[in-house]
Amino acid sequence: MIWVIDTLNGIAFGMLLFLLAAGLSLIYGLMKILNLTHGSFYLVGGYIGLTVMQRTGSFVLALIVAALAIGLIGAVIERFFLRRFHLDELPQTLLTFGFLFIFADLSLWIWGGDPIMITQPQIFAASVPMGDYAYPLYRLFLIVVGLVIAGALWWFQEHTRLGTMLRAGVDDAEIARALGINVSLLFTLVFAAGAALAAIGGVLAGPVLSLYPGADFDTLILAFVVVIVGGLGSLRGALAGALLVGLLDNFGKSFFPQFALFTVFVPMAIILVVRPTGLFGRR
Amino acid sequence: MTIRKTMPYGATAAPDADERPARRRVLCAITTASAVLLTLGASCVAAQAADAIKIGVLLPLSGNFAANGQQALTGIKMYFDEVGHMAAGHKLDVIVEDTQGKPDVAVTKARKEVERDGAQVLTGIISSGVALAVNDFSRQNKIPLVLSGDAGVDEITMPGPLANPYLVRTSQNGRTVAAAAAEWAYNKKGWRKVVTLGSDYAGGVDTNVSFAQAFCKLGGRVIQAEWPPVNTADFGPYLTSIDRSADALVTFTPGADGLRLGQQYAQFGLKGKLPVLDIYAGIAYEPNLKQLGDAVLGVYSSLFYTPMLKTPENERFVAEFKKRTGMLPANEGPNGYVGAHAIVDAINAVHGDLSDKLKFMAALKAVKFNSPKGEISLDKYGQVIQTMYIREVQKVDGELANVPIASYPNVDQFWPFTPADFEQFKYSWKDEKGSLTDCAKLLAKK
Repeated sequence: MIWVIDTLNGIAFGMLLFLLAAGLSLIYGLMKILNLTHGSFYLVGGYIGLTVMQRTGSFVLALIVAALAIGLIGAVIERFFLRRFHLDELPQTLLTFGFLFIFADLSLWIWGGDPIMITQPQIFAASVPMGDYAYPLYRLFLIVVGLVIAGALWWFQEHTRLGTMLRAGVDDAEIARALGINVSLLFTLVFAAGAALAAIGGVLAGPVLSLYPGADFDTLILAFVVVIVGGLGSLRGALAGALLVGLLDNFGKSFFPQFALFTVFVPMAIILVVRPTGLFGRR
Repeated sequence: MTIRKTMPYGATAAPDADERPARRRVLCAITTASAVLLTLGASCVAAQAADAIKIGVLLPLSGNFAANGQQALTGIKMYFDEVGHMAAGHKLDVIVEDTQGKPDVAVTKARKEVERDGAQVLTGIISSGVALAVNDFSRQNKIPLVLSGDAGVDEITMPGPLANPYLVRTSQNGRTVAAAAAEWAYNKKGWRKVVTLGSDYAGGVDTNVSFAQAFCKLGGRVIQAEWPPVNTADFGPYLTSIDRSADALVTFTPGADGLRLGQQYAQFGLKGKLPVLDIYAGIAYEPNLKQLGDAVLGVYSSLFYTPMLKTPENERFVAEFKKRTGMLPANEGPNGYVGAHAIVDAINAVHGDLSDKLKFMAALKAVKFNSPKGEISLDKYGQVIQTMYIREVQKVDGELANVPIASYPNVDQFWPFTPADFEQFKYSWKDEKGSLTDCAKLLAKK
């Protein structure tokens, strides 16, 4: 039974990681921006969801509002700030690092410093009995939502015109531009979509992981690990990396609790040695 | 900075400056006692107000501990407001600086308060790392430090290399809350075998070792020790590998970890099957109660305070704290308040003359008063002696609250051991993280 619980846990956690890593990976793949503000998108998105949830009691509305708001913020940051330093990695990274701090202090100011949990939707509040233990229904919901979003993203990338443009942009932005693809618009759209995914991750994680000052940094590190393991710039890599990290982390903590701090980082180091580009990375 | 204090021709300003308040006080006493001229009396007050006593507060007001810092600051301000910012006829100037919860920043701010603003006493401090750094600063520069925030590192108030004659701590230390939990678990609940789950950092190790040591001394045993890292996202793997033959789960998980563990413990079906004793109330932290709802009902916790204490001091404190913040005080509020109270009492005891610092420290160590936390006094090492409470989350008038169900008055920092025991222990707590289940090693003597 413990095996089942650990596996489900690993997948549920992996799905949250996927939502974070997908945006981070796509943004890097397309624009070569190492977006450190991604942690803020997650945390502020979660906080916005929290406020909507408190005001209206609707979890769905919380997800939508958070995604739209953070998507808009992402678009603004890309258009008016990052655009000025196109392909200039150091200023870009520093700029996103600066935004990380600004958002951290703003959220501390608005939402305070005590850890807060988003109330989970009432229908998923129960637990399913499982042997000596029980399993929270909300986590099963997380798995389903994660799979649906992953499927939607895959379909979008493979079967829509915009997705084709995106893949072309990732492969070679210059040639794509020469072929008449509006890369500029694509950049903004992808940045906004990545930010919105992180916000959705924040809202979905809120009832499980809680929101607190510093969650932005914590999740950012995990998202980077996933992206490094899975390979930068690939959705498939983000999904595989997220599931692998989620499962390894859970089984590692369960069977080798004394190495809890390393369950995520040791596999990353090993994969980097064996495949420096990550599982599905190119070049 | 020494340059500023030195006068021309090698004479120092210090003796003159130190005599002045005393002389002026005598003058004032004569004039006011004679009470001939009101105007003269008034000028005395003005003169005294001029040499105010400056108190430097060091708290994290930004960063991860900001919420705790704000609560402590509210407590400190409440007490100074209560005495009208006056002690022994001196005005009390409170200077507040933000440590950001970082040791290096805290030392810089401490230096600023002492050297630029002329602070004569430092107070506040949250986090053991900050406490160690500022303790060092206080010892080197002979600046009285009244540690009144949540910083549990035991060694600074124990005989040993970190002991500091210029330090008193009115808040707590790591050991005592854990020792009270062990005593209650063994004697009141009859638990003999427990599983511990403690955040894996210095404070967590100290607290869990202290619990295990006290529990072993009584005859109980830790049968399994789990050490989740700080900021564990998911306690699932830990909860599902608990040895279910245990009588109870003993936890120490401050911050967001406590909130998550409280929820996940219930979600994974352990509630009602395995009781929880929460040292330091990381789960049953007051701001968590409403969020966790019924999941946290019945959780036992051990702490030196609960807002539910029915004493006049506490009821007044809680009412005012709620008025100022809209929240129930948890631990930092009363801690800050008690620290400020100790400072004011000690200033009164030395009649406002802080020039003899060791005399002021002796006055601090001699304070004794009733506080929202209960009766407060200090031992000769400067560590607080106070009451420990075991609380249970119950519904009171429809709201969840930490109701006190047992109390242990006058607990000192060594209880249930003695200073001599600590000199004889073969291992320090730092060497015992991996030996929580080994009572022989925990209690081994040299």
